[in-house]
Amino acid sequence: MLLVPRQLLRAGMTGDVPYYGGRLSPAQAYAASHPSARPPGSGRVADTTRAEVGDPRAATSRAVSPTPPTGNQEDVLLSLQHLLGAGVITPEEYTGLRARLGA
Amino acid sequence: MMGPVQILVVGFERPTFSGEVLTQLARLGEAGVVRLVDLLLVSRSHDGTLETLAAPTQLGAELGGLATALLGQPEGTAGDRPAGADPESAEVTTWSLADAVPPGSAAAVALIEHLWATPLRSAIQRAGGRPLEETWLAPNDVARLEDLITRRSI
Repeated sequence: MLLVPRQLLRAGMTGDVPYYGGRLSPAQAYAASHPSARPPGSGRVADTTRAEVGDPRAATSRAVSPTPPTGNQEDVLLSLQHLLGAGVITPEEYTGLRARLGA
Repeated sequence: MMGPVQILVVGFERPTFSGEVLTQLARLGEAGVVRLVDLLLVSRSHDGTLETLAAPTQLGAELGGLATALLGQPEGTAGDRPAGADPESAEVTTWSLADAVPPGSAAAVALIEHLWATPLRSAIQRAGGRPLEETWLAPNDVARLEDLITRRSI
């Protein structure tokens, strides 16, 4: 018999577990709002996401471009405001991230 | 009130089932640990179409009916937002069998009620606890945990 699948909500055993798919987790938002963790002028940054889960690959660092990302600053600000409104980042994190944009 | 119900989707290259898994589930059911609510066998063709398969006769003809009604929807209906979803919530995530079963494969879909978890869930709710994360340890981390336990017991 043909079965047309129905969309179901994801849930955990003890209830609805927050899911951060495609968005910043609190830990990632914290890391993003603390740029001082990056060695100044090195152009390399520790993989904080791996470090959070104890992944040994975090010991290595990955190359990043020292060039700030280009893009529409207005869009970035809107995204930040959305993250703030959704409770993904705190007001302090929002202020810090916004300051990095020079806004 | 039912306990937490897990949906376990297990893929098979060919839809042949030995019954060994069911034997284990039956054993856990007798011990009051879990209850196999229903079991559905499905196949997915290369064009993505999902079809239910007849359960082995020894398992009973009524098997799969509940799962089909729960996981499927009448043909031709639109994929509505899941029941209970808060339209204002940005954290709603959904899934369907189409996400789980790759084209060109077959799967067994088990609805398993965790009887043991009912008192725990109630206790958490009474204590005002709210779930923040719930996942399973990866095999490597289980091995690491076993090692830690062994070292501690020496």
